[in-house]
Amino acid sequence: MPGELAAPGLHARRPAGGGIARFLGRRTVLPGLLLIPVLAFFIVWNTIPTLWLLGLSFYRFSLTSGRAPIYAGLLNFQNILNDSGVWLDLSRTLLFVISGVGIQTVLGMLLGLLFWNSQRLPGRRVALTMLFAPMVLTPVASGTFWRLIYDPTFGVLNSILRGIGLPGTNFLGDSSTAFAAVLVVDIWMWTPFMVLMTLAALASVPKAELEAAEIDQLTWWQRLRLVLLFHGKYILMLGILLRTIDSFKTMDLIYNMTFGGPGTTTQLVAITLYRRAFEAFNMGWSSALAVILLLISIAFTATFIFVLHWRDKAEA
Amino acid sequence: MPDIHLEGLTRSFGPTTAVDNVSMIFAEGTVTCLLGPSGCGKTTLMRMIAGLEAPTSGRIRFGDRDVTRLSARQRGVAMVFQYPVMYRTLTVAENIELPLARDRGLSPAERRGRVDEVLDVLDLLAQRGLRMGDLDMGARQRVAVGRAIARRCDVVLFDEPTTNVEVHAKLQLIRAFKEFRRRLRQTIVYVTHDQTEAMTLADQIALMQAGVLSQCAAPRVLYDEPDSEFGGWFLGSPGMNFLDPVGRVGVQARFAGISAEIAVPGGDVAGLRAGIRPEYVRVFPHAAPGRVTARVVGDCITIGGQHLLTLDVDGAELKAKIPPGAGMAAGSTAFVECPAEHVMLFRDGRRLSEQSVGLSRFP
Repeated sequence: MPGELAAPGLHARRPAGGGIARFLGRRTVLPGLLLIPVLAFFIVWNTIPTLWLLGLSFYRFSLTSGRAPIYAGLLNFQNILNDSGVWLDLSRTLLFVISGVGIQTVLGMLLGLLFWNSQRLPGRRVALTMLFAPMVLTPVASGTFWRLIYDPTFGVLNSILRGIGLPGTNFLGDSSTAFAAVLVVDIWMWTPFMVLMTLAALASVPKAELEAAEIDQLTWWQRLRLVLLFHGKYILMLGILLRTIDSFKTMDLIYNMTFGGPGTTTQLVAITLYRRAFEAFNMGWSSALAVILLLISIAFTATFIFVLHWRDKAEA
Repeated sequence: MPDIHLEGLTRSFGPTTAVDNVSMIFAEGTVTCLLGPSGCGKTTLMRMIAGLEAPTSGRIRFGDRDVTRLSARQRGVAMVFQYPVMYRTLTVAENIELPLARDRGLSPAERRGRVDEVLDVLDLLAQRGLRMGDLDMGARQRVAVGRAIARRCDVVLFDEPTTNVEVHAKLQLIRAFKEFRRRLRQTIVYVTHDQTEAMTLADQIALMQAGVLSQCAAPRVLYDEPDSEFGGWFLGSPGMNFLDPVGRVGVQARFAGISAEIAVPGGDVAGLRAGIRPEYVRVFPHAAPGRVTARVVGDCITIGGQHLLTLDVDGAELKAKIPPGAGMAAGSTAFVECPAEHVMLFRDGRRLSEQSVGLSRFP
């Protein structure tokens, strides 16, 4: 109606000018255009290889045979499920994940609580920076660094052991110590992440409840259970899930430190996959194993999303 | 049960002084309300008593015991927060029983008895098995009150406990508070910005302004004899009328609307103001000796069954509470009488003592 006043924004002006400006001014066009590079990257580097992998898992295909891929149906999957070596590698990976993430969670929580309770401690920031340093190093660098520390001839650790009169040990070369030695490095690398998650969890606790716990003279266990864990549990659970998914895929650290050895003592399933694909060039079999690992990762991710929804519902 | 002694208590946050050199005594077994507008430092003062905030300087004693450097846990006080705090995984009864578990002197039967007593007074017996998610804000705050009361600490602190609850729950809380107070006679510090609540609950009120203790007295004394213009303005709904001097005759000052000359110490009217509460201003439709002519400004507003009238007296605004049915139309002429015995004199914001003020009515 002429002269009628419109609320600002309700009849927002379209950009003046020619056809391109008007086209870009549409609500969905510009955001869509801005998404194209990311989508293109995702399709080229993620979707296509995944579909390729899925397809290849149904074929017998060896890069060394010189023959074209032969359709094999579910044979690769059947072979993997009947392969006791794979089951052994999977159980070793599971042990690595459970013990690694478990210890990281406990240590991370303890250190998180320690740093949280020492706000006024001198040097707190320096200590925190030092604590987080392993997390920001690449696993390749950490692996190399620790391989040197563990070195039986000139490694620092063996020098110390010999210095206090104990016999030196080839930590990475001895099958009785290699798994634990690698696990220690993983714990060293990723405990800071759980410290970070613990600090984030503690920051989410309402101040009034902490003060009420103090006033009510709750024991440390009551305070942990009724206040800290109650409020921080979602963030901690997300931390544990993220670490579980990540730990399940551990490859670079082992590759750099032991390459699965001695024997197969540190051979996690990701190393098995690498060896079968890029040493034996058995692409069909490796693709099928990759699909299985993908499904396991999806199961973890689904749990992750479920926890997020659970939190949203609980907090609503 | 101990008195609480505050000695020169100060708390600064950077350049801001939230509490400035407060010294006072909370007598044992009494309820003291810390009253004042938002940001006046009353909550900070109470948090220092609780041990949740460390004073920048000064001392806090519970009886002979210096608690200034003790933590909240070591002070052994109970406290109810503004936002209802309830341990969410525990039921109502478990919440109330939780702090009692540390009391080794209590047998399980005594503990249960105490929980039942608290639940009964707080009208929570039917909800004893419920958890936080099943309760409204009012019920949650009653649980928080129950947890504080059940411990039977010598000192109980309340930080605006009725701010976040609706009216019905507020009345329930106040009723329960009075009942507990009658039974237990604990030393209670109650922070509020609601003057009605303070007037209803307190044995004494500590009125605070900008971090400073303005006045500490019994509610009636605080209302009738405010030490400062702030006290007169803050207490009452609406607060006191303040009138500037319009003339001087020797040592007598004249104020707009007051049909009396008031003797002023030294005859100096600088910084002088006269104050009178709205309920003492009398309004008449007819002129008579001793009445001052005024004009009714705006319509009457009804507050608590009384009409509030705004008047213009020689350019000064005067509020008067008149009985129902005595309403006057906006713009009409009224005649005002301010009884001299209810007039108080203030200089530079502080009240002048009665002895220094003399009144003489106009001829």
